[in-house]
Amino acid sequence: MARQMNADGSDGIEDRGVDAFELNTSIANLRDLLASDLSAYDAVYLGDIYCRLYEANFLERPEDLREGLRILRDQGKRAYLTTYAAPRNDFLPRVRKMLEVAAGAGAQAVEVHNLGILKIAHEEVPGLPIHVGGFANVYTDAGVDVLRGFGAVRFTPNYELSLDEIREILATSGAAMELLVHGKMPLGISDYCFLLEYEEKWGIKCPDLCQKDLFLKQGDWAMKTVGKGILSGKDVCMLEHLPLLLADGHRHFRIETVSETPAYRREVGAVYREALRRAAEEPFRQEERWWDVVRAHARIGVCNGFYFGKSGMDYAGIRPDAAGSLLTISPSAG
Amino acid sequence: MATLLAPAGSPEAVQAALDAGADAVYVGLKGWSRGGARGELTWEELVASQRRAATAGRELQVALNIIPKPPERARLFERVPPLLDLGIRTLIVNDIGILAMLRGRFPALHLTASIGCGAQTIADVGLFRDLGAHAVVLPGVVGPEEVGEMGTVPGIALEVMIHMVEEFVLLGKCWMPSHIHLKPSPLPTDPQGFALPEGAERGLRQTGSMKRGGVGACFKICQQPWELFQGDRRMDRRLLPSRQISRAAEVGAYVAAGADVLKLQGRSLPPELLGPLVRRYRNALDGRMGDAGTANRAAELPAAWTVVGR
Repeated sequence: MARQMNADGSDGIEDRGVDAFELNTSIANLRDLLASDLSAYDAVYLGDIYCRLYEANFLERPEDLREGLRILRDQGKRAYLTTYAAPRNDFLPRVRKMLEVAAGAGAQAVEVHNLGILKIAHEEVPGLPIHVGGFANVYTDAGVDVLRGFGAVRFTPNYELSLDEIREILATSGAAMELLVHGKMPLGISDYCFLLEYEEKWGIKCPDLCQKDLFLKQGDWAMKTVGKGILSGKDVCMLEHLPLLLADGHRHFRIETVSETPAYRREVGAVYREALRRAAEEPFRQEERWWDVVRAHARIGVCNGFYFGKSGMDYAGIRPDAAGSLLTISPSAG
Repeated sequence: MATLLAPAGSPEAVQAALDAGADAVYVGLKGWSRGGARGELTWEELVASQRRAATAGRELQVALNIIPKPPERARLFERVPPLLDLGIRTLIVNDIGILAMLRGRFPALHLTASIGCGAQTIADVGLFRDLGAHAVVLPGVVGPEEVGEMGTVPGIALEVMIHMVEEFVLLGKCWMPSHIHLKPSPLPTDPQGFALPEGAERGLRQTGSMKRGGVGACFKICQQPWELFQGDRRMDRRLLPSRQISRAAEVGAYVAAGADVLKLQGRSLPPELLGPLVRRYRNALDGRMGDAGTANRAAELPAAWTVVGR
């Protein structure tokens, strides 16, 4: 099977210096890809991990996937395929097909959230580097060791882990980690789309339903729903902590935008691109306009508590006022 | 022939499950199981329960299904030799790293990949087989036809949780509670009397983390009513969907499909409810469904049989 090898190393970055990093994001379908300015990003994951019925999901359309990979390649981006987070047996033939398409069309890695798909990818497309996604439940160095045995080269630790815990895994394993630095954090996945109950009542059919701006709220708690997926209502925001992430040795950063608009993708990406370049400098000089962008797109507020050993919806830092977060804690308290 | 694996959260529940015909019973050891403190046994209770099970010719399994941090992991492994000495052969674990390490260190153990490991496909089953699991637990949403496909994977037993609550979010794929409230709390005092090394911390139970060990206090976020908004417009007030799965009527189909173990959820159930529940499935498994013809109608189950704390 022909496949374009990952030209700059299995984890995507050959240069380990602080000025070398990968900023990536995610896009569900060809329409969104064509509408997105990706100049801020080094790499893109293609596909929606939650639902087979998501509109024109790359994971269901071989021709769209080939075209998406070509577009990214032409733009000089690293092109990754993602995969379903909670498959059933009847998903697997399509998963196999898309892995074959991705490998043949020059994808430079596949992201897996499900252990069975990890096994399939490892055995059936052995040349394709594997990134382990956040739903795969990487909690410890022991988990990393196991997954490496199945060909994994990059790991998104479970979102609950603190930076201290991630630091321990990194120190023990030396594994390349990918961290969510901005965007709505995946909080859960279901076999069932409750939004389908509203098709008649609202007069909106699948697959348009889950693309509405839908939030579940309970007092000051909020979560975004995309049908089978539950995301944080607040946006994870690690903008002011980027120097810490670089100092810890992290080089792969994700802005989660699969359920966001092209404007979000472009504007937030540009902020982080600039901030990451500047984060290696001493002192780290933040621009007020960065926070204007964050505030404009994070309607519910920002959070990053998990990274500091707190509840996920908390915010650690000095800038929560800029984004409407109600909870503030000192990062050092974590 | 498939076996019936029942839950128990107290010595009295162990006895009730055995009396009702369970082939095996699973329990949690205080501080080390995902069920939370409410449904865990002390070491002394575990010893007594193992004695009862062995006397009855049945098996007692132990859930060590939290995910300890590396410093605490060694202490978890210290628990294993005493368990083996006691006659415990099967441990239920929740993390691939822990599973692989136990496999390497204790070849005599039978290891079960818990429902929290999230296996739902034939490929998942194959992976856990490759890791050395003796059995893998599948949720009751997986039907007999799917189990039949998975049964083609050799070298691993299939356990189906045919009586369970299906929450909206899949087990092992939920961190809503900890997003809202993560509250690490000290692990209980060591149940086996192991002395801590000088200066060592007791370790933390990650209360609020479903996966790591706080399911007993997951705050039931998903069971609270939510307001559904589109933009700023309130569209509905609702619960996230969940249901009691009770597939007693399909026991025969699961067995024919190759299920090796039929597992019941409910370590929080008191003995007086657990006994009849186990008996219902014992009868179903033994083919005596004639006098329990309503077994397939989950709506007729006593409300208290709905598992509230796993």
